Amino acid sequence: MSQIGISHHRKSETPLRAIRSVVGLLIATIVAAGFVMPAFSAPAEKKVVRLAFRAIETGFDPQRVEDRYSVGICENLFESLLTYDWLARPVRLAPQAVEQVPEGEEGGTRFTFRLKPGIYFAPDPVFKGKKRELVAADVEYAIKRFRDPEVRSPYSWLFEDKIIGLDEYVDKIKKANRKFDYDTRIEGITVRDRYTISFKLREPDYNFIYFFAMPNVVPVAREVIEAYGADTMAHPVGTGPFVLKEWVRASKIVLERNPNYRGHKLNTEFADANDSWDQDAIKSLAGKTLPLIDRVEIYPIEQEQPRYLAFMDLQHDYLEETPLAFVQQLMPNGAKGKLAPVLERRNVRMFREDQPEVVWDAFNMDDPFVGGYKPENIAFRRALVHAHDRPSEIKIVRSGQAIVANSPIGPGVVGFDPTFRTSEQEYDPARARALLDMYGYIDRDKDGWRDMPDGRQIILQYKYQANEQEQRQRAALWIKCLAAVGIRMEAQEVQFSDLIKDRKVGKFQMSGIAWIADYPDAQNFLQLLYGPNTDISNDARFKLAAYDRLYLQALRIPDSPERNKIYREMNRLLAAYAPWRYGVHRSFSHFINPWVRGYKKHPILYTSFKFLDIDVAMQRAATNH
Amino acid sequence: MGAYVLRRIGQMIPTLAGVMLLIFVLFNAVGGDPALQLAGKITNKEQIENIRKQLGVDQPMYVQLGYFAFEVATGFNCTWRSYTEKPVPPKVDAKADPKVAPKADAPKGGCEAVRSWATNEEVPKILATRIGPTLTIMIPVLVLETVIALLLAIGVAYMRGTLTDRMIMMLCTVAMSISFLVYIIVAQYFFGFKWGIFPVQGWSDNFWKNVATYAPLPVMLAIFVGLAPALRLYRSFFLDEINNDYVRTARAKGVSENMVMLKHVMRNAMIPILTNVGIALPGIFVGSFLLESFFSIPGLGREILVAVNRSDFPVIKAATVYLAMLTMLINLLVDVLYKAVDPRVTFK
Repeated sequence: MSQIGISHHRKSETPLRAIRSVVGLLIATIVAAGFVMPAFSAPAEKKVVRLAFRAIETGFDPQRVEDRYSVGICENLFESLLTYDWLARPVRLAPQAVEQVPEGEEGGTRFTFRLKPGIYFAPDPVFKGKKRELVAADVEYAIKRFRDPEVRSPYSWLFEDKIIGLDEYVDKIKKANRKFDYDTRIEGITVRDRYTISFKLREPDYNFIYFFAMPNVVPVAREVIEAYGADTMAHPVGTGPFVLKEWVRASKIVLERNPNYRGHKLNTEFADANDSWDQDAIKSLAGKTLPLIDRVEIYPIEQEQPRYLAFMDLQHDYLEETPLAFVQQLMPNGAKGKLAPVLERRNVRMFREDQPEVVWDAFNMDDPFVGGYKPENIAFRRALVHAHDRPSEIKIVRSGQAIVANSPIGPGVVGFDPTFRTSEQEYDPARARALLDMYGYIDRDKDGWRDMPDGRQIILQYKYQANEQEQRQRAALWIKCLAAVGIRMEAQEVQFSDLIKDRKVGKFQMSGIAWIADYPDAQNFLQLLYGPNTDISNDARFKLAAYDRLYLQALRIPDSPERNKIYREMNRLLAAYAPWRYGVHRSFSHFINPWVRGYKKHPILYTSFKFLDIDVAMQRAATNH
Repeated sequence: MGAYVLRRIGQMIPTLAGVMLLIFVLFNAVGGDPALQLAGKITNKEQIENIRKQLGVDQPMYVQLGYFAFEVATGFNCTWRSYTEKPVPPKVDAKADPKVAPKADAPKGGCEAVRSWATNEEVPKILATRIGPTLTIMIPVLVLETVIALLLAIGVAYMRGTLTDRMIMMLCTVAMSISFLVYIIVAQYFFGFKWGIFPVQGWSDNFWKNVATYAPLPVMLAIFVGLAPALRLYRSFFLDEINNDYVRTARAKGVSENMVMLKHVMRNAMIPILTNVGIALPGIFVGSFLLESFFSIPGLGREILVAVNRSDFPVIKAATVYLAMLTMLINLLVDVLYKAVDPRVTFK
């Protein structure tokens, strides 16, 4: 703490401080208009958390947004029916707006949710001063919104080919060029009473309940949506712990406590006794009615340096998703070493999080060079995989902020097997050369580069997103690694929308892709290689009957050792056919100032505002806020 | 003069039409498909088609161009709502919550303000709310930069060939050789973080707080970067005038050096300087995306950058057309100002 005091003492003593006033005065005389300066905004005794987002938000209509930062705000303004236990690892579903987590009925084709009575929306002029209770019809309305063509929901896929009657109705209105009529009854959605809603699915799907823990899949009040019309992005009204108090787009998002929120108690049942973060959370939060924070101020800052400096300058209470360029400065000896002395003096803590996501390079399985299912095709892909120096990617491109991926499944999700290893994805250039030689990929025209067994020249093409430094570096690494085993590769930089388009129609040979879990089940990752998802999400265009059969089989089984066995078998098939070069699971380092209490990052949930506390005296002493 | 101004305004219409055509062709040729960007992680052809239909980009090119022209002329969009059915009457559902009173759908066919594809915010509102922070930075930059460059330029022009002149010119060359980004990163680190003279970044709702606290560092940086080229340019304008006969005559008549430089030389050098300021003037309305991005200023430059990254064409198109119109109007204003500066100028 003393160091924090020293920091401010230093600033107050500097003679250069006067420059700011002089320059400010000079500018003030030039600008004609003037306003009365109001008092400083944040009341002294309120518990205020300040932080930065590393991207600009789009808005807060939960059914219309996709970017994780907008969704992260929605998570605090609205309430999903289910959520995840805050401390349980691996993650565990927990009821939020419903009384209990529903069991799949009728062989996993029906799910019934019963809302807790007495949950109220935040006050809004639309409600005309009356308290508005959350009812089952609000859930029905929200689910229908996902499929309303006018809403253009980026998550409409969640409810496609799922609920009986919904697809048929959407097809009908599209053909008739009509608007979505929310009063039309859908066979698979039944509002049984004021608080109970039931969904009937076409096929068994035990992962369906995960959708209801997503921060997008939240009930909304129909009258609010209709009243604000096209401006719903700026008028979120939910039942969550916070309300949107102020929003200066791309500059400032202020949340304050929802006066109608009923409060939440931390469940400590699944806490890890050996985890210091869990113990801190219990010490700070257990038994208290959450949230404890009065106000959250979020500043979107896209540039890395100002985001980093704002934390170092004590403007922000914690720094999440630390920019790679500054990781070395904060952790000079790597993630397992000590923090930089300046952070140690400030008693800053570091929380490292392995993201439930995967980064990979897809081979286009329909491509005449890198595709195919014959032994020589597989051998060629495996050789490319062995040639790729993944350890260097982690060390250099990612500054050590990643772990090796051994399967397409992100860590921490149900079905992720940390013991699953495959030698087929290891960096081994000698093995790569041996495989290429063995299967006839040799230099036939003596130009110094290997050719196909039939004599065709090999010039592989790697497509990556324009203006992305990380992707440019990965492309350069691929070119270097393949050149080392005699394979020529060219990299092509393309605009984001063109890259998506090219991948959707199979107009590429190799391309780097990332996927973050929408819900914590391996199926969310394994669907990326399911044959019928070609042109939808299976960019590698991998079509293997055995894999597809296992995929469908797993959908019909709830989480169990039997299903894990199926997932393991699917991983084996993928290792054998190598449609992807598994890359990494990225990690994030979060740095937290000592006055922030109870901090823990959940792998699936985006934010932690509800589970934070602030030592106001310590914060004020350190930051002068 | 009135006829001249009217004629110039008339000439703006075909110029603006040309600019619009160019923007339209460029965006459609190289802009990519916005539907793919908006469609989400998992999508199918049907959904992409639906989004294209909603955005109106499924229409033939000439129809889209017509919509664009209409949007520019009126600020309204009449293409998004392509559903043609009659309003759906409200139904009374006994089971539903009585507090939820469904309304009839809005009548079809109405126009609405052009909206951002990414955020659904009204584009005129976006431009209106972002212009304030941009001008708070850019007006002081333009004024201070011009005044300081003028004073320094007249000084070094007067001292032409001396060591001071050479040193200043050399410093200008060095300053111009360094990227603006480097200045920003270094200044933000030292002035903002290390020495604590200015805040590292930020912006507030209060105008005076912005002017006194958040604007000084970005303004100083922009002035510092813009000063060197302006100084060199203005110096050359002054040198052109200093060597003219009328200056020699004035000196021969015993006019003081201050009067020669500040009245005769400066006034005659003002026409090219005014032209230069006129060229720079539209730029103050779009700001510097680098400054705005690094100092978290919610201005227009940053907004345009975000719109480009999101393929948010309505915002990009509006900003481009707005800038083109401003440029033409400012050019006209500068031409009119020539007359005030130099009485020899006549309008034809």
